[in-house]
Amino acid sequence: MTKQEFLCLLRQKLSGLPEQDIEDRLTFYGEMIDDRIEEGCSEQDAVSDIGSADEIAAQIIADIPLTRLAKERLKPTRKMSTVEVVLLAIGSPLWLSLAIAAMAVVLSLYVVLWSVIVSVWAVFASFAACAVGGAVAGVVLACVGNVPSGIVLLGAGLVCAGLAILLHFGCGAATGGIVWLTKKIAFGIKKCFVRKEVAK
Amino acid sequence: MDIQLKRGLLDVCVLAAIKDRDSYGYQMIKDMKPYIEMSESTLYTILKRLESANMLTVRTVEHNGRLRKYYHITKEGLARIDEFKNEWREVMLIYQFVSKEDKPQ
Repeated sequence: MTKQEFLCLLRQKLSGLPEQDIEDRLTFYGEMIDDRIEEGCSEQDAVSDIGSADEIAAQIIADIPLTRLAKERLKPTRKMSTVEVVLLAIGSPLWLSLAIAAMAVVLSLYVVLWSVIVSVWAVFASFAACAVGGAVAGVVLACVGNVPSGIVLLGAGLVCAGLAILLHFGCGAATGGIVWLTKKIAFGIKKCFVRKEVAK
Repeated sequence: MDIQLKRGLLDVCVLAAIKDRDSYGYQMIKDMKPYIEMSESTLYTILKRLESANMLTVRTVEHNGRLRKYYHITKEGLARIDEFKNEWREVMLIYQFVSKEDKPQ
């Protein structure tokens, strides 16, 4: 791939991002390629040394905050006519509620994901509490004189402790998984903003 | 490595790459290579961050009929390097204390 082809491809993959950002990036990567060529690299090698346009675009999109991306997308590309403004105002009960609904869906998705985490940790906490409670109550009961019940309670406490320890690993893994998923979703939403522009 | 820690380290690495003389992107990557592998994308993000934090300035210079951006460290950038060195003196002390336990008694 030549430098020009690479930069064109990258521009295509970044379309939808703020124009200034795209220009900045392309200048930066262009300079990097030129410097490699100047050092004696062939153009092909210099380009492949930089990495694939897909990877670079993915990293750039991940770096740009969603708010900035949304602002750029919502910025009107031309001035709206009076009729359009009036229509927009009349239609606001419809599109505004739809927009709010869309945001609510995304938000609820996050809430659902994180409530899973909260609940598994809650189960873990209750097991841990049962373990401590059972052990203390068992010892107290045994001291008071009710030895068989005390031992049963102590045993139950120990079982809970075992479960809590096991669950702790599960909780950690689940939290990691959800964090990863949250990032993926954020990336997916950003991707939507970028793709729309390409389709035009 | 902890992501916040790594971020701080990379920032200081980039500052160190322009500490003694102004430099440009590819040269910085080459200078850092023996110590740390940094991709172009990462370098770009860090340069932007350091620029908005006033730790470096950028100027465009004509070179062989094309433009090249040179980065120059500011007072704030130099101060950040000093701060880093002081912080790490403490960290190294703690490290010595922590790894002392590894030695067989």
